[in-house]
Amino acid sequence: MSDSYVIIGDGIAGASAAETLREEAPDAEITVLTDEGESLYNRILIKEYAKGKLPEAPISIHQESWYEDHDVDLRLNTVVVDIDVENDAVRTHEGETFEYDSLLLAIGGTPQQLPVGNADADGIHHFWTFQDARKIKESVEGAEKAVIVGAGLLGIDFAAICGAQGVEAKYLMRGDCWWRYALSEEGAEIMHDAMRERGVEPVFDSGVDHFEVDDEGHVTAAVDPSGERYECDFAGVAIGLDFNTELVEDTPLETEDGIVVDEFMRTNVDNVFAAGDITTFNDLVLGERAKNGSWGSAKEQGTIAARNMIEHGSEAFEWVSSYSITHFDFPFLSFGHPTLGDDSVEATTAEGEWRRVALKDGKIVGGVLIGDLSPQSAFKQLMREGRDVSDQTDLLMEPGFAVDDLAATTEQQ
Amino acid sequence: MSLREANRRMRLRRTGTVSADARVRHYDELDEETQVVVRELAGRPRTAPETDDLDDGDVVKFTDYYQVRAR
Repeated sequence: MSDSYVIIGDGIAGASAAETLREEAPDAEITVLTDEGESLYNRILIKEYAKGKLPEAPISIHQESWYEDHDVDLRLNTVVVDIDVENDAVRTHEGETFEYDSLLLAIGGTPQQLPVGNADADGIHHFWTFQDARKIKESVEGAEKAVIVGAGLLGIDFAAICGAQGVEAKYLMRGDCWWRYALSEEGAEIMHDAMRERGVEPVFDSGVDHFEVDDEGHVTAAVDPSGERYECDFAGVAIGLDFNTELVEDTPLETEDGIVVDEFMRTNVDNVFAAGDITTFNDLVLGERAKNGSWGSAKEQGTIAARNMIEHGSEAFEWVSSYSITHFDFPFLSFGHPTLGDDSVEATTAEGEWRRVALKDGKIVGGVLIGDLSPQSAFKQLMREGRDVSDQTDLLMEPGFAVDDLAATTEQQ
Repeated sequence: MSLREANRRMRLRRTGTVSADARVRHYDELDEETQVVVRELAGRPRTAPETDDLDDGDVVKFTDYYQVRAR
């Protein structure tokens, strides 16, 4: 009898696991359960669809026929309501039971709602699924004014969508700059200028006290804590994710801001694995538990999880992630964990070019590059090598920096 | 998957429209080696050896949309 694998979630983590299992365990029974109504699509590109830059078709990655062709039993619109790790089975909302030899949880997260009045009003959007993107596109196309909340990597997508669709927007931020945990004001100002050029005005030290709605329950304005009122036909909220751990609340699975896994993507239950946004994983590069929501990381975690579901211990997850913003005429890239560390160095290296590197115990743990991405590979290499650069941080800020520059300096010492 | 001709070089040409049947790749989906090539070629009249991660006709989303031409 062949091994049976059940995967909950058909995002890139779940889908890459299914692909790997099929390639490396040709006789296995593979079932993919997803609560979404469509199979794997490109989550990175749905913002381009909402901007009106891409048609729907290129967003799809796996047609349903892919699952048939690869003998994978795909169940769309299927909500898992119970995981029974004692009896190796999951149950769905329709009462169906799927037994497994190994289970993969690639169950991701759900956008957080602002804890303020009328936060669930019509016209207030969160951005996570393709279906969200369709609603946002429809809503923004009929809007003249918008409010955006959430000064991070997802919130700026709303700014870009408004800019691309000619909607005048106020971008309300709690601090004095966009993504203040990873950027200084100097770096963030490059982003602010790009937003302003597209009709999106950053509003600092602000936020939302409550939303106002019309008689039909549609949002008409956001009111900040000081009583300032910002009229809007549309609001985009991106303040973070709640990880979908409620599904495992009644199981012995360890959770800590997600499902805890080791470097092999295995939970504290031997035949249960997790991958993607949902994991709090043992980050071998960082040397501590970490989270990561990037596409590349999720894809790699799905692949690694699958290999270890087939043979535990076969391959560890060791990855330096990166996430780019490509909305503007200059590139932006964050890598590793730019909000962590005990020290940092930053510099403006040319007009419109800025970089910051975060360090922990003298080693690079992450950073941000604006305008010039050329040191990306060098910084990632230094992270993977765990190189102590504490006495040479000035070199990291040199235009054209390469790892060899550092080695030469080290040899000279 | 189509067989590749050896020793082809690729360039990126900015494109204003993306057809429904195009394969579109975002910069973040590409392997690190291909990302370097995309950064080098985007917006410049240069060529580089074809990479495994991109095919002729693919569209890449970087700071703009670029179509891959491999010859």
